[in-house]
Amino acid sequence: MTKRIFKAICAAALSVFVVTMLLIMGVLYNYFSSVQQSQLKAQTALAVQGVEQQGMAFFDGLPAEHFRITWIAANGQVLYDSVSDSEAMENHLQREEIRQALADGLGESARYSSTLMKQYLYCAQRLSDGTVLRLSISHNTILVLLLGMLQPILIVIGVALVLSFFLASRLSKRIVEPMNKLNLDEPLENEGYDELSPLLRRIYSQQQHLKAQQATLTQKQNQLDAIVGHLEEGMILLDKDCKVITANQAALHLMDVKNSKVAGIPLLSLNRNLELQESVRQALAGESVTKKTTMRGRTIQIHAAAVGQEQELSGVAVVLFDITEAEQAEQRRREFTANVSHELKTPLQSISGYSELMKCGMTRPEDVQPFAQRIYNEAQRLIRLVEDIINLSHLDEGSGYEWKQLDLYAAAQEVLGSLQDIAAEKQVKLECQGSPTMMQAVPELVRGMIYNLCDNAIKYNRPGGTVTLTVTRENGCPLLRVADTGIGIPEEEQDRIFERFYRVDKSRSKEVGGTGLGLSIVKHSALVLGAQIHLDSRLGQGTTITLRFQP
Amino acid sequence: MMRSKFDMQLEELKKEMTTMGMLCENAIAKTSHALLTCDVALAKELPELLNQVTQKERDIESICLRLLLHQQPVARDLRTVSSALKMVTDAQRIGTQSADISEIITLGNIRTIPEGLPIRDMATAVIHMVTDSIDAFVKQDGKIAASVIQYDDIVDGFFNSMKAALIAQLKQPGVNGEALVDLLMISKYYERIGDHAANIAGWVLFSLTGDLEIDTAYFEEGGHPSEK
Repeated sequence: MTKRIFKAICAAALSVFVVTMLLIMGVLYNYFSSVQQSQLKAQTALAVQGVEQQGMAFFDGLPAEHFRITWIAANGQVLYDSVSDSEAMENHLQREEIRQALADGLGESARYSSTLMKQYLYCAQRLSDGTVLRLSISHNTILVLLLGMLQPILIVIGVALVLSFFLASRLSKRIVEPMNKLNLDEPLENEGYDELSPLLRRIYSQQQHLKAQQATLTQKQNQLDAIVGHLEEGMILLDKDCKVITANQAALHLMDVKNSKVAGIPLLSLNRNLELQESVRQALAGESVTKKTTMRGRTIQIHAAAVGQEQELSGVAVVLFDITEAEQAEQRRREFTANVSHELKTPLQSISGYSELMKCGMTRPEDVQPFAQRIYNEAQRLIRLVEDIINLSHLDEGSGYEWKQLDLYAAAQEVLGSLQDIAAEKQVKLECQGSPTMMQAVPELVRGMIYNLCDNAIKYNRPGGTVTLTVTRENGCPLLRVADTGIGIPEEEQDRIFERFYRVDKSRSKEVGGTGLGLSIVKHSALVLGAQIHLDSRLGQGTTITLRFQP
Repeated sequence: MMRSKFDMQLEELKKEMTTMGMLCENAIAKTSHALLTCDVALAKELPELLNQVTQKERDIESICLRLLLHQQPVARDLRTVSSALKMVTDAQRIGTQSADISEIITLGNIRTIPEGLPIRDMATAVIHMVTDSIDAFVKQDGKIAASVIQYDDIVDGFFNSMKAALIAQLKQPGVNGEALVDLLMISKYYERIGDHAANIAGWVLFSLTGDLEIDTAYFEEGGHPSEK
């Protein structure tokens, strides 16, 4: 900007300077030339008169400073010259001014010296005797004058340059300053040049446009973040160099990454799970992969797929599903099915065996009764089993129960009464402590729970042991505690005893009896009633199970 | 232009190192799982994993040599490359010794882990050391590296108590002597793996600080420089 203004000012100043000088020189030079010429003419006329009167003697007293006087005879021969020796001079008949003077009485001419440095003006007049008197004067040419003025001209040009530079920088600063001070955040608020207002208006409208676009973008990003962020499944997007673009909280949690800013970090630096890396590698090769792995003790299913066209992969999308529960549930379902079929098959096999013997008539008459007894027992066991399974499936549905006012203590005593015979058979003492405790519950479920708990406490007791039933109220909640002095449950099994058909001691199930569904029924009944189960057991010392009902 | 290529090669080196670390972690984890569950079939997968580890070692060595020849790194970069060369050796040893443990498991002498042996704790501690040493490398974290070096004492302690427990069990009549001797060898391998993890951590510290002090101190305290 400064440069351009400087150039313009300079060009203007210099051209004005040159034009002015040429004009002045031209006019003045011409004026002075004409003045000189008329002077020369007058001098010539005076000299002619002098020579007419005094002849050669006129020249003697002449000062030879300003003019060169030459007297030429009519045949061109130089009679006298005030500068050179007249003898040596050439014939002057051919000179223009002489020829004019000889012809018209007066002649004038101007000639440049051989170097063009000087201009000579000549004026010749014919005397009455036919000779010619010529006066000449010399003066410098314009070129010489200009050369003489070279120094001041250069100074003037220099001054012009400095001045124009100074002005240019001042000017450009003055012009640019308000532009630099423009507040582009609020383009319409500015005062200054009117010339800039179209530009400012355009900036304003573009800013509005940008703001709108940015808002849309942020909103979309937020939406996406909200959706991805709240997914329970882990989501990871990778670029084609396996660097993370985004990863949601669930994924970071699964990969055990504490840092929440993971963009741009290679996946390998975040997690070194072999299956995950392998899946990403295969996905980058264009395959769609599903793999199972373990991360932080959870079973994770990895889905990895390439993003983008086949030729130009833009990255990999990885989804991590936590399938631990599903896996466990699947495992339990399989076990349950296997167990049910096994439990159903065992009594049936006995029944089938004994009845086959009887059918073939291979039994002695006295054996028929014990055989029939066994068939009956097995059939009873089968019925109990099926009943338990039906109960459980009812409990699974969890509805259709009638809630009633119930005395927990009375229910406990009632159940204990029905278990008296079995207990006596096992030499186990039954005790019941507490006071009548009223509560809202489903009576048949409560009785079922107490029955199953006490039944277990008797079955897994040692001879001479006791089963203590305590009914109290704690913080307003009815509490039922069944404590035995039996074999106890190992700590690592305690999580599993409420599972269907699960038995701590797999080998003794036949001998102890029972369906393996008792505690499972307790657990599901508690779920329906909203009761909490607490298990406290020491191996060899006994087990205490506490039921805490809702107030 | 040259520099950016150099940076890319360094990044590639780091990626390969991390991958190798991942393979080693996997090898030791798999071996330990096979040991604790007496899973012979799982132990048989180890040689395949060891092949991958060895292949990675070769790859990384050639990357390092190429870097040294073509780029002539100096100062910190030189430390990175030279310590990488040392680290892969230790990592490869971890892989090899995991495979050795698996080989003992495949013999089938160990049918159950006898009660009262701290082998589970020892395996967990060693896995922890290997994981942390790789973590120290990935995060370039001197603190983690220093903690790994200190943790080596704990693993050494486990080895001593393993030895004592095994001697006590061998004195009892009717014990499965073969299994107990195998377990002794396995615990020795674990102890060595711990040493290698500590070595890796030492090299991480060296590449960060340029200080060999910690590493040499470690050697004097009874590391196994003969295995270098």
